[in-house]
Amino acid sequence: MKTWFADIEINEDGSVAECSPCTQDVQQLAKRLLVFQADPKQIPLASFDPVKKAIECGFVSGKTEYYSLLQQTCIAATRLKIKNSYSPDLRIIHAVEALDDIDEAANLLAERLGIWYGEHFPEAGMLTENLAKFVAENGLRQDLPQDSQFRETALSSVGMEMDAEDGAIIKAFAADLSSLYERRHVIESYIRKNMEQLAPNLEKVAGANLGARLISMAGGLQSLSRMPSSTIQVMGANQALFKHLRGKATSPKHGIIFNHPLIKNSHPKIRGKMARALASSLSIASRVDAFSGRLNPVIKEKLDRKVLSIKEGDK
Amino acid sequence: MKVKIFHENIFTLQQGKKRFLATRNLTPGLEVYGERLVQVDEAEYRIWEPKRSKLAAMLLKKLPSPFTTTSKVLYLGSATGTTVSHVSDIVQQGVVYAVEFSPRTMRDMLPVCEERANIIPLLADASKPQSYANVVEPVDVIFQDVAQPNQASIALSNVQHFLKPGGYLLMSIKARSVDSTAKPDTVFKQQLKTLLEQDNSKLELVKKQKLAPFHIDHLGVVVKKTE
Repeated sequence: MKTWFADIEINEDGSVAECSPCTQDVQQLAKRLLVFQADPKQIPLASFDPVKKAIECGFVSGKTEYYSLLQQTCIAATRLKIKNSYSPDLRIIHAVEALDDIDEAANLLAERLGIWYGEHFPEAGMLTENLAKFVAENGLRQDLPQDSQFRETALSSVGMEMDAEDGAIIKAFAADLSSLYERRHVIESYIRKNMEQLAPNLEKVAGANLGARLISMAGGLQSLSRMPSSTIQVMGANQALFKHLRGKATSPKHGIIFNHPLIKNSHPKIRGKMARALASSLSIASRVDAFSGRLNPVIKEKLDRKVLSIKEGDK
Repeated sequence: MKVKIFHENIFTLQQGKKRFLATRNLTPGLEVYGERLVQVDEAEYRIWEPKRSKLAAMLLKKLPSPFTTTSKVLYLGSATGTTVSHVSDIVQQGVVYAVEFSPRTMRDMLPVCEERANIIPLLADASKPQSYANVVEPVDVIFQDVAQPNQASIALSNVQHFLKPGGYLLMSIKARSVDSTAKPDTVFKQQLKTLLEQDNSKLELVKKQKLAPFHIDHLGVVVKKTE
């Protein structure tokens, strides 16, 4: 049988027949341990005492040495295993979460800028990203360039007067917000690029953003591919799902996949069918991605045909 | 503060009307997860919060403690090592084999293992005991806190492989992880049935006790392996 420190043959009476202990090299032992863990075979029987046998074999001279070496080995093995546990989809997961954080922060700041700048120049009539860019470029309404389309309205504005100091502050604030929006675009295109490489089929069926979000919610491409499509269908509708399971509501038709244009733009009457068709197509796409990684156009074509037949049936 | 012995190597500290569970720090001066350290007559104690540890809650709810200074313990579901560190305090001359499945939480536990010589970390799946069978020796106590739907059968397979005759299994059953919709009492009954009503499982229920108010919908169970 194989233990972490040696291959041992045991006689029927329990004594050691043959034993070839490994050298006391922690890194070597750790690698050996991981090989067994991944594919356990010839494991010792229950009630086998490795401590006694290690001393009998001459691997170590006593218990203290045994435990100290075992601990070092296990720590080294755990370190190796942790290091190898990171999967490439982790980068996408973090990018999606960063996107959500940016959205949250940007919305908050954009609201503030809208109110703040609105006191000064309510006629500008812009919101969020446009407003941030506009203020970052131009500053106060008296600083607008001659050829600006807002020149006229600026002159007759009912807004409060602001001086150069106010202008500097609000301009810098808008510049920060505007760069946050730019960062958002960069991350978005990063996700799109990586999704094409990591999960081309999912990207094709779901779109980069939704696909990345599904991976992030499932905790990885591998775990997404192991999910039944009914789970994918209602993922993100947790509250509604548990309410349904407690018997207090009807089952939810769609979770996060509602953001897919196929469902969003469909008539509510056929959204349930659409969601089911889309979810099953998504789960197949994620499986192909997880296990082969090559683009297979058939998946999208089949979905398109299914969608058509659902729409026909509705008429 | 006044120190009283609660069980072997487990203490209570009395301060006014308040009573705290505590263990004697194996690594004086070092705390593990931000817990309070208290110095009383030459010895340093670490306060053990029952709301953060199911084992502490089990002890305060009067479930018997099978731990001794030299116990060998198999700890399933060690997470970031908060409770493990207290078990390591209790079994000062023993060993704790700490099994955890998630690499992320294991990453946080490694520093604890490096400070304490009696914790052996195993990044493995507790439902596959054969994957660590070439490391773990027969143990006196198995503690399980894994929050999995098949908790009882995970415990059972580990008990069969690693628990010495006469040894104890302590587990905390989390009803919400077994079945989020069923009534907790039904879940507890069904899990105990899986655990105890096997042919030749040789297990005998010592005591069970709900862990409320420290942990809602949890049942603490102590089981003895008879032969």
